[in-house]
Order: sequence, then C-alpha cells, then structure tokens
Amino acid sequence: MTRPSGQHLSPDEFDACLSGITSAECSQHLLNCDLCREQLRADRELAEQIASLPLIGPKEGFADRVMASVFIPDPFAIRSFQATRRRLLSSPRSLAIAATFALVLVGSMAGSIIWSLENQDTLASIGTWLFAQTGQALWLGLQGLASNLIEQPWYTGLKSLVENPVRLAVISAAASFVYLGGLLALRRLLALPTQRVAHANV
Amino acid sequence: MPSARTDWARLSDQDVVLRARAGHEAAYRELIRRYERPVFALVFRMVRDRELAEDLAQETFVKALNAIESYRPEFKFSSWIFKIANNAAIDHLRRRELDTLSLDGSPHAETPEAMQATALQIGARQETPLETVEAKELGSAIEAAIGSLRPEYRACILLRHVEGRPYEEIAEILNLPLGTVKTYIHRARHELRHSLAHLKE
Repeated sequence: MTRPSGQHLSPDEFDACLSGITSAECSQHLLNCDLCREQLRADRELAEQIASLPLIGPKEGFADRVMASVFIPDPFAIRSFQATRRRLLSSPRSLAIAATFALVLVGSMAGSIIWSLENQDTLASIGTWLFAQTGQALWLGLQGLASNLIEQPWYTGLKSLVENPVRLAVISAAASFVYLGGLLALRRLLALPTQRVAHANV
Repeated sequence: MPSARTDWARLSDQDVVLRARAGHEAAYRELIRRYERPVFALVFRMVRDRELAEDLAQETFVKALNAIESYRPEFKFSSWIFKIANNAAIDHLRRRELDTLSLDGSPHAETPEAMQATALQIGARQETPLETVEAKELGSAIEAAIGSLRPEYRACILLRHVEGRPYEEIAEILNLPLGTVKTYIHRARHELRHSLAHLKE
C-alpha cells in the first residue's frame, strides 16, 4: 500500500517511529518529507529530554511513615478464616448446612426479640421468681457447706492454725505466691504468638 | 510461604501482593520499595510541591496497601497504584490552583530554609559546573513546560515518557479511551515543543 502524495505521517505512525518501529512506507515517506522528518526529530529529542529528567524520590524513612498507617492482617487469623471459609464452601451440602444454621440462628434471635417485646410482664415475673429461687438455693447451699465443714475431723486443727496471726500471714503469703506463680504460668501458656515469631520465616 | 532467603526481585508484583495479603510485612515493604520513586515522581511533577507530593504519595500508599484485598490480580499492580496516585494528584489540583514550578524549592515555602528543604534533588551523576547549570536550566525549562500543561496532558506525558508506560496502560490508569490518550500525548508534545522552542534560539 502506498501513501497518497501530500499526506503526512499520522500521530500513530509518529508514535510507532518514536518506539523504534518504522515501517518501510514510513521510512520512504520520511526520506522525501522534510516536515515529517523535522517533527520526528523534534519529538524524539523531546522524548529523550523528558526521559532524562532527574530521578526524584521521597525523603528517607518514607516506607516507615507509610507502614505506620498500614494495617497488616494477622497471618494466623487469615489462615483460620480461610480454612473455615474453604470448609464451608467446599460442597453444596456444607454450604446448605451453614446457610440453614445461620437462618435458624437469625430466625430464633428475631423470634426471641419479638416475643420479649410482646410479653414484658411475663418476663418480669419470671425474672423475679428466678431471682428469689436462686437466692434461696444459694443460701441453703452455703449453710450446708458450712455445717459440712464444721463436722470435718481436720476442722479443729485448721481453726487453731489460722487463729495465730503470724501463721495466718505466712500461709496467706505462701498462697498468694502460688496463685501469682500460677497466673504467670497461665499467661505464658495462653499468650498469642508475637509478630516476630509469626514473621520469623519471612 | 516466603523463606528467609526470599528473593523479592524474582517475584512478580502479583506474587508480592499475594504474600502481603497473607499478612507478611516484608511484602508490603517490597511493594513500597518498588513504587515509591515512580509514584512520588509522578505526584511531584503533577503538583509541583515536594512537601505536598510527600503527603500525597504517602496517602496513595496507605490507601492502596490498606485496600490490598480489593486489588484484582488480573490487572497490573502498577496501573492500580498509578491510578490511585493520579486521582490523589488530580483531586488536589482541582481543589487548588498552582503556581509555576521552581527547581529551587516549593512555591509555597516562606523562608530560605524551607526553599532549600523543598528544592528538587538532582541525581548524583558527576557534571562540570557548566553542564550542571545547563542541565538545570534545561531540566527547569522542561519541568516548567510540563507544569504548564493541562493536568490530563501532564499525566499522559509523564506516564508515557518518564515512566515508559504503554498507551493501553495509560488509558487504564487515567480511565480514558485509548484514542483520547493518543490525542492528549500528541497535543502535549506539540505544546511542549512550542514552549521549549525559545531554548533552541
């Protein structure tokens, strides 16, 4: 295909030439057209000048400033959530079970709220009755416990042990120490893994 | 799972994003390392104020990294982050009219120290004093000429000739039809040639 005489290169053809793709037709045209040759030269020079503008970057510590405002999700929580989601979506049956469970849960919650709003008097009387019954049961339990304790053969020995203030203080201190030790041990056992541990393999 | 010997340079942006989504801080930092310069440069040349560019670039990364879950891996990460950066710059430009750029510092700097602090840092290439003056003069003229373009033309020309992005990606970043991007770049080049003609003389 030959270019009609007098027609200059199109913007697309200039772009192609700037990207280093010059068709034979364009090369031929550039040989004969001073105007297009001059524009291509000027465009090329301009593109080079723009590309050689100084490299600029943000001030030092940019990444730290960004990271201070970025929330990084906990990898353990993500894995556990993903595993649950995978399990739920693994088959139509598990999805149906999950949907039914969610529906029953939401339905029963809604039903409960509606019933409570409509039967506030009944709820109040049930509450009063439950409170009285619980109080009575607790009091009876406490009385039973105390009479049982008094009847134990070691009760007299224990009573004489705590009657002495010094011995009582020592026993209290020892018990507190054991309790604190237990608390610390539990805390260590139940502590969540720290970020450092979680990212140790990165 | 990445190991202590993870060679980040070998991983594609998509792979790094997957690791970031899995909660690995190093992956977030790698994304920042890869894009802090291009994003900052684009925003800086759009708004022409170093302090402001820092804030907008930071805002861009915070927005992108906090929404990393919404990034769709079938698209280029570069397009996504440039789109956020360009939107931040354009939003700012719409709110505020800007003065012309000075390589000697921010037009909003009020003291000589602030001018110095906000001055554009030229690369470390060794130049003779005359070359430095000439390069600074030419660079300043080009920066000023780019700064005088319409923001849409400016974004197109920067993404094309500074970042070397293909037309299709520029169209995606700026949410413009491909033909419009080509026209904008063509017109921007024409305006720049016209603005810089005095340097030749």
